[in-house]
Amino acid sequence: MHGRKAYELVKEFASGEKGHLKIFNNELFERVIEECNEHHNALQSLIRKMQEEGLEVLTARTADHYGALIHHLSLIRNKRCLMAYVYNRADIIRDLAWKVGLLHELPREIQEKFSDSEEQYFKDHSKSLKSYMSQLSLNVNVDMVPPKDPYIKVRVLEDLGSGIILSDKSANFARHSMHFLKRTDAEQYIARGLMEELTS
Amino acid sequence: MASGAGEWSTAQMDDYETLISTTDVELLKRAWRNEKAAPEILPFEEALVKRAKEQIQLMEETVDEFAESGHDPLIASLYQMDLDRAQFLLRSYLRVRLQKIEKFMFYIWKSDAYRHRLSTEEEKFGERCIRDIGKHLEETVLSKLPDNYQSLLKQSIISEEDDMVPEPQLDTFVVAKCQRATRPLFLDGSRQSAGFDNRDDHFQMVPGDLCILRYRPFQEELMSGNISLV
Repeated sequence: MHGRKAYELVKEFASGEKGHLKIFNNELFERVIEECNEHHNALQSLIRKMQEEGLEVLTARTADHYGALIHHLSLIRNKRCLMAYVYNRADIIRDLAWKVGLLHELPREIQEKFSDSEEQYFKDHSKSLKSYMSQLSLNVNVDMVPPKDPYIKVRVLEDLGSGIILSDKSANFARHSMHFLKRTDAEQYIARGLMEELTS
Repeated sequence: MASGAGEWSTAQMDDYETLISTTDVELLKRAWRNEKAAPEILPFEEALVKRAKEQIQLMEETVDEFAESGHDPLIASLYQMDLDRAQFLLRSYLRVRLQKIEKFMFYIWKSDAYRHRLSTEEEKFGERCIRDIGKHLEETVLSKLPDNYQSLLKQSIISEEDDMVPEPQLDTFVVAKCQRATRPLFLDGSRQSAGFDNRDDHFQMVPGDLCILRYRPFQEELMSGNISLV
């Protein structure tokens, strides 16, 4: 069936949870690429055949002309599906670059789902974002939600001890202890995953 | 406001409102809302962003001073709150724009008019975006396809136009608020006054009016500041 495999590829992406990546389906992907080349070969041989028969390829309305057209259209459809698959995955990758790429490495579970080229793309895009922010000397990846209160409630996720002195006080930041801190003080710890904000 | 200070006349009230509506915070808020609601990227508010950055810096210094001098902590925290909000506004404004650039980079790069809407930094960012995604798509898909089908922007060599470029949906509907009274508008955006009388679908907005409109015909009204989006 023309275009069936490519359709499966796109459908696989679309059926995934929004904003989540599945493992790059290399097998199916390569199969579609192969199909494209098959279409191309069929297209070429039809055109050659028409030329041998002395027909004008673009104007002759023979069965071969329409056969070639169908191969051409199938090829285009496959291309669009392949591009859509990669492009929409790239969308999610960019989103990840915004959220985590600027701070630290991606967790292994996510990295495993990337293809090699996607891994590179993730790094490249994070770098582009970083360079934009350094030119502007302003971080745009913080403050993702409108701030309500200068003070927030946090829970400490990892033992930080009492060594940390925040701008207005020091406390023993033992694991699981809860504190009421200045948002600006707590933010850096939240970003590093050492504290979490408690929302009531 | 201080109600004890006597009643305000309507004129005074109007003056006050115009004054408030032209402060930088208000302007930045409006720019941010417009940018968030518009489907396409709008011209960069360069002067405004510059002023906002300066003011934020000034405010940061004030807050630091307050903290050092042991001033009333309540006042300091109010300043801090104000500062946080201003910063959020500025960051969110820039962020929304970057995300639009990521989404429509190929479309923006096709026309100079769009490119001129970007700041220098945004333009650099966009260039890098295009280079990166281009490389990625090239490596993954395009280099594996037959020769005539390798273009990034066209489906195949016989396409006359770039038919693989995601475009913003300009015909979407937006909620617009009137800032300044507008001349008579037509729903489809036409402005010809000939045959004015026999068309009954024109309307006029006065300040404060809210309308749900198709975006495309009213781009110019938005750019000129007659309406703003919410």
